[in-house]
Amino acid sequence: MSVAIRELTPNFAGEVSGLDITQPLTREQVAALEAGMDRFAVLIYHDQHFTDDQQKAFSLNFGPLEQTEGGNVTKAADRRLDPQMADVSNLGADHKPLARDDRRRLFNLGNQLWHSDSSFRAVPAKYSLLSGRTVVDAGGNTEFADMRKAYDALDSATKVEIEDLVCEHSLIYSRGTLGFTELSDEEKRMFKPVRQRLVRTHPVTGRKSLYLSSHIGTIVGWPMPEARAFIRDLTEHATQPRFTYVHKWRQFDLVMWDNRCTMHRVRRFDETQVRDMRRTTVAGDSVTVEQMAA
Amino acid sequence: MRMTPLHPGFVAEVSGIDISVPLSGDEVAAIEDGMDRYAVLVFRDQPLTDEQQCTFSRSFGELEMTLIGQMMKPTERRLGPVEMGDISNLDAAGKMRARDDSRRMYALGNRLWHSDASFRATGAGYSLLSARVVPGYGGNTEFADMRAAYDALDDRTEAAVEDLVSEHSIAFSRDVLGFNDYGEGNEDKVRPVRHSLVRTHPVTGRKSLYLSAHIGGIVAWPVPEARAFVRDLTEHATQPQFVHAHQWRVNDLVMWDNRTTMHRARRYRDLQEVRDLRRTSIKGTRLTAEQVPAMAAE
Repeated sequence: MSVAIRELTPNFAGEVSGLDITQPLTREQVAALEAGMDRFAVLIYHDQHFTDDQQKAFSLNFGPLEQTEGGNVTKAADRRLDPQMADVSNLGADHKPLARDDRRRLFNLGNQLWHSDSSFRAVPAKYSLLSGRTVVDAGGNTEFADMRKAYDALDSATKVEIEDLVCEHSLIYSRGTLGFTELSDEEKRMFKPVRQRLVRTHPVTGRKSLYLSSHIGTIVGWPMPEARAFIRDLTEHATQPRFTYVHKWRQFDLVMWDNRCTMHRVRRFDETQVRDMRRTTVAGDSVTVEQMAA
Repeated sequence: MRMTPLHPGFVAEVSGIDISVPLSGDEVAAIEDGMDRYAVLVFRDQPLTDEQQCTFSRSFGELEMTLIGQMMKPTERRLGPVEMGDISNLDAAGKMRARDDSRRMYALGNRLWHSDASFRATGAGYSLLSARVVPGYGGNTEFADMRAAYDALDDRTEAAVEDLVSEHSIAFSRDVLGFNDYGEGNEDKVRPVRHSLVRTHPVTGRKSLYLSAHIGGIVAWPVPEARAFVRDLTEHATQPQFVHAHQWRVNDLVMWDNRTTMHRARRYRDLQEVRDLRRTSIKGTRLTAEQVPAMAAE
């Protein structure tokens, strides 16, 4: 079967048809999807009735999977899904919506801030793949922003200024922004900041992009308030409507995106409704900058 | 006196008046009418001394002391009258502040959308900002119309915000940027106050969103949920269709109504170029919500 990709916004976000991705793919099909990712950065597939195992198998076409450990405050014993499935639902292990003041829910509200998955890991993620198993009628859209276009649109003085800047990323920072600050010593160790370049270059296309994320807490060598004010300005620039695609979920959509050149966020929804989204993450293969000595 | 609107119903440029000399009752009334209608008024080519700015400002009510003025030692102040807010990058000696100067860190909070003195139980009425020295590049002040932003809410959101009460403190806006050094003895000045999220203008009766970077929570909501929601509302309320960017010229005076607008400063090369703006603010006269347990310091 040949792969067809329809452009949803100019050169950003493509809708894939003619392919059942719950079944094994040929090498050529995988290559066509990777080429689509390099061009569009976000690909959308409809009507893909995945099991978790099928989703993992599809994801493995693009590289080894990242472990979910270190990315959340949910304890292993309380998990609803296996360790390679990131649980992006509003559900507890009993499959019921979490209570309003549940710590896990409040932590997960951080997903409403623009971010790039796993930018808080020294080796950050390549692709994320999100499967909509149960979706809500109103709200809960996922929005994507094209960090290549956002970079291209910077004025030349800003490009020069940011070229060699290095940021510190941690879940402590993104959650702190929302006033979620009570972390155990173990969590603080787990969420220790890592460094990432602010401008990164895509390994295949060679295109530059802004590597922004709500996990950024400061810029190395800058006073923190100045760094944060600047990062807010850059984020506002980079998430203007002309750089974004809004995905309105249908049940059994699978959306995959390249975290190296996009940001995304989820929008508010009625959390008494079930929203069951499951994410697999393809691991990155390199750091963007040298890390501090431990 | 003539008023030329820069957007439909929002921001007007005022000409044909000299505000450095005492105004007649009719002139004051005409300016107040303009403020009720446009929420932001721009006066060009008005060279003012600090005393003249205070006199003009007092036409509209009692002046408030700035919070930072209350927290600083007198020897740290650059300007004379305690009612003059020093919106500059200069220290008491008139030199540009160093990169890591804590007053510079504090002032960076002005780059977040806010309503002046929303951290006080009565908020502020008008603010008046006079440009004495402006930088060559950047440093615009942007204004957002909270009446138009309210009007544009969808019905569901309008119902959701109607009776909400938010908590405001200077500590919240500064904490977002990672700043929390207020100096000893100032703890009482960062105690949160409460405000209705929707307020009604006392003269026009129009409703507006009372948003501000000083908001840290909504009463009875979990903090992260409140902050995520307030961020969404702020993003809605500061979309380009509700915003005017003021590009400063020397001797501009811009006055705005804090009850119906938010504003923010944009970045400029503050380690290389001087930006000397001076602000007076009119005290707010009424609470928007009941204070619990006690009002914060005035």
